[in-house]
Amino acid sequence: MWPVVKSVLAALLGVQNNQKRQEDFNSGRPAAYIVTGVVITLLFILVLIVLATLAAR
Amino acid sequence: MRSRWCWLLAIYVTASVSHTQAYGWNMPVGVTDVSSDIYGLHMTIFWICVVIGVLVFGVMFFSLFRYRHSKGAKAAHFHEHTSVEVLWTAIPILILVGMAVPATATLKNMYDASDAELDVMITGQQWRWRYEYLGEDVAFNSSMSTPRAQISGEEERGEYYLLEVDQPLVLPINRKVRFLMTSDDVIHSWWVPDLAVKQDTIPGFINENWVRINEPGIYRGQCAELCGIDHGFMPVVVHAMEEEAFDGWLAEQKEMAKEEAMGVDREWEMTELVERGESVYQTICASCHQSEGQGLPPAFPALANNQQLISDVDWHLDTILNGVSGAAMPAFRNTLNPVELAAVVTYTRNAWGNDTGDVVQPSTVAGKIAQ
Repeated sequence: MWPVVKSVLAALLGVQNNQKRQEDFNSGRPAAYIVTGVVITLLFILVLIVLATLAAR
Repeated sequence: MRSRWCWLLAIYVTASVSHTQAYGWNMPVGVTDVSSDIYGLHMTIFWICVVIGVLVFGVMFFSLFRYRHSKGAKAAHFHEHTSVEVLWTAIPILILVGMAVPATATLKNMYDASDAELDVMITGQQWRWRYEYLGEDVAFNSSMSTPRAQISGEEERGEYYLLEVDQPLVLPINRKVRFLMTSDDVIHSWWVPDLAVKQDTIPGFINENWVRINEPGIYRGQCAELCGIDHGFMPVVVHAMEEEAFDGWLAEQKEMAKEEAMGVDREWEMTELVERGESVYQTICASCHQSEGQGLPPAFPALANNQQLISDVDWHLDTILNGVSGAAMPAFRNTLNPVELAAVVTYTRNAWGNDTGDVVQPSTVAGKIAQ
């Protein structure tokens, strides 16, 4: 689980090293990456909403 | 040698920046706390951009020059460098967040129109502004006062060419004034750079904005949203007064409004009405129907020798009160008061050869409006 999360976070930032990318593509199921990606994106949006609400106080 | 170049560059940059301020190429600092906050943000971000630009282009030009092909430089062929990539992603994030924090604080302040001591309704109209001091029974139109002859080039242009009005918006300093902004016809935009206010006025919507002016003075602006043929001819002039002077002015305006209201009931002489009507006509009607009533057909019909107008006084008054739906003629029942309406009807029925001899009394007009 943790390597998948790390890869998704790296993808969000837009930086990943080649060796890890190869590992990701050779092992694991695509669905795991997609679901993790969606969840982390939603979490990111939630964080933005919280920040905006705090700023608007 | 190198240091001398640096000095020259520094002098040049400093000189250009102060030059810019002296000639008004930069945005104004303005006369409100918000406007100086905005100016400060603008300059902070400008200098951040300058530093980034100098660093990035400096490294680039240095590398191009120092490691050029003719000196035997060989390109390095590496494919990735994670720590450099992380660094050049993280630094822009930090810079952007660093700029967003003060910008958000300023925006929050700009949108907080609560606790105002005075409410002014600003209504855009083709092509003038209407100001209404809510709860004070004071309202007036503010039309451009630059003579048409200056625009057509027959006269020399004045100092405030296209930036002068017959009646400016008068505001007190040191008091929070809330603006409620809307429009009667199309989208206009009320823009005064020194107050850092540029707000669209939209028919059917009410937008809020506010100012607290720090210095008395006259501040000029323009309509900033293309709104038709006379878009360039509806300037904004704000006269900011000391608080006591403003209170005096407002009391005077209230008194004048009361007198005007009393004038509705009395019988007016034709000459009085014609005289008053001519000034109303020239400020309100002449931009479309032209100063001699000749109009600009087909959009703006002639009033001089207009048979329908001459023969039908009810139609004439009705057209001015209610406008013409589907045409450019607006309704003036809420924009002009009964005295002004009666005066302008009487004037147009007795000017430029329209010798009807008709006199329309303010009381008649008031009765029509009340219906």
